[in-house]
Amino acid sequence: MIRTLTAIALLLVLIVFTVGLAASVGEDLGQAEVWRVLRYRLFLGHAPEPSITAERIVWQLRMPRAALAILVGGGLAIVGAAMQTLVRNPLAEPYILGISGGASAGASLFYLGFLPPILSKGLSMPVAAFLGGLAAISVVYFVAENGRRVSVARLLLAGVAMAALMGSITSFITYSSPEPDKLRAVLFWLLGSLHHATWSLVPLPAIVCAAGLVVLMALTRPLDAMLMGEEAAQSLGVSVEGTKRLLIVLAAVVTGTLVAVSGAIGFVGLIVPHAVRSAIGVGHRRLLPVCFVAGALFLLWADLAARALLPSENLPVGIITALCGVPFFLVLLRRTEYGFG
Amino acid sequence: MQLRSQLAALLVGLCACGPPSDAARRIEITDDLDRTVYVPEEIQRVASLAPSVTELVFAAGAGHKLVGVTNADDYPPAVERLPKFSALPIDFEAVLTLNPDLVLASDQINSPRDAATFAATGVPTFFLAVDGVEAMLQAIDRMAQLLGTQSTVADSLRASLRELRMKTEAVSERPTTLFLVSDETLYGFGRGSYIHELIAIAAGQSITAGFDSRAPVLSDEFVLVEKPEVIVGSFGPAYDPNRLVQLHPTWDIVPAVMDGRIYSVDGDLFLRPGPRLVSGAWQLARLLHPDVIP
Repeated sequence: MIRTLTAIALLLVLIVFTVGLAASVGEDLGQAEVWRVLRYRLFLGHAPEPSITAERIVWQLRMPRAALAILVGGGLAIVGAAMQTLVRNPLAEPYILGISGGASAGASLFYLGFLPPILSKGLSMPVAAFLGGLAAISVVYFVAENGRRVSVARLLLAGVAMAALMGSITSFITYSSPEPDKLRAVLFWLLGSLHHATWSLVPLPAIVCAAGLVVLMALTRPLDAMLMGEEAAQSLGVSVEGTKRLLIVLAAVVTGTLVAVSGAIGFVGLIVPHAVRSAIGVGHRRLLPVCFVAGALFLLWADLAARALLPSENLPVGIITALCGVPFFLVLLRRTEYGFG
Repeated sequence: MQLRSQLAALLVGLCACGPPSDAARRIEITDDLDRTVYVPEEIQRVASLAPSVTELVFAAGAGHKLVGVTNADDYPPAVERLPKFSALPIDFEAVLTLNPDLVLASDQINSPRDAATFAATGVPTFFLAVDGVEAMLQAIDRMAQLLGTQSTVADSLRASLRELRMKTEAVSERPTTLFLVSDETLYGFGRGSYIHELIAIAAGQSITAGFDSRAPVLSDEFVLVEKPEVIVGSFGPAYDPNRLVQLHPTWDIVPAVMDGRIYSVDGDLFLRPGPRLVSGAWQLARLLHPDVIP
């Protein structure tokens, strides 16, 4: 327990440090000016006033972007950990049930104008993405459940199949879109990006992530039991079917919301849970909170790398996550005696 | 009959590598990508794979030799009567049924790989690489020479440019200008683009000329720091400048936004490296210096 708390404290310190860095990286404003903005904002105006350009850049572009990176990274990491336990497969990740595929198809259908006007009128791209993800995971769920129980094998296979189907819908729409301008915007979103972050985009993901973490923390005992197999968990008195259903709903809501705001940023939800398990073990009471802060830190770094690689340009962070994460992950796999479950 | 001649051409293409030795005599020329191309001495039937190339051919006085253009072509109005085919990806069958002597391509959008497919059927492909206003004018002359036509268009465009340069060289104040291709995802032009040349001719300074990538996606903070005095976007004639401000709310302190100097132009005048670049330069000059060039 001490070890877990130390890990969380260490990661939190690193997050604060990285957010400070995230506030400074980009166009050169001078470090003093960046601090002036942060002091001015954090002390609610009881500090010297910074230049308006610096204020816009640091407080209205860089900080909400860092906040969104924390939420998306943390949220995807805890859902990834829960999904790996749900299907008892190390390859599982938040998108395994077809949510990102469905969200991508929903967003491109809406944005490239392939929906009938009566449907698209009340939508926005994030809402269309969320509904697309929900539709895909609903199909997967109804294929996998047979009235009494949800079959994990069918869940996985249906998820992979739906992801492929949604992928071809997205490909077809982007291929046949006549509007290059909109196509660019959709492709950007499909790659996974945080560049459009504003403070108004932050509250909803924050609420959803907090709720997700609370629910998962309440489920740590059933989750631990399910690592030993469904029958073993059943004999320990765990309501396996109820837990599975709750986990699927949770994955749909949390992942759907995060993908809707930032696009399908890959890899965070796959490697962060494994890396954390190899460091502190498989027990969910410790795993989940550490996963959240580790995922947040990982995406913050990846976004920093994206911005440092091509200054003044918007490199979608989704391109970078694998680039940053894989070498680290491979070294970790090689060095540790890592057993899943 | 047509099918048979195509089959014959295909066989020739397959058997004979190097200069085709069939029917008409061919001459050896080098295109803008330094490819060696063997073309018939007299070219009568030309297919164009890019709208900019079509415009250059018309400017060279050889519009009547075009037998087909892409379905993205819409200028000059005479293209309406021509057969159209898909260009991205190229519909090879549709192009070959037009029976062209020569296919004209642009390095901006066509791939040399496509030339190999045409070569296999015995049709030569000539690539144009237009990377600036002078190269565009030379391309018109080159087309006239290649297709055996006469045209004074290049000369009158040169005269028009001289006139514009005389007017703008006298201007002392050169506003910093941001040229955007799209409003939501901020695609701009980086190093090596002729857009900076057009802006310079119009007596402005392009703020994206220093980017290493050819098509950078700009960050919002770059624009905040560079503070462009004018923003020009190829967003079409019906564009509402307020949309740009809504998409980028932090820009309300950018001079171009505060002074209401966001202009939307017809992208075809700027994005197609063809003869209408000169009209584009004039339009830019009018937007940047309405007092000097009414």
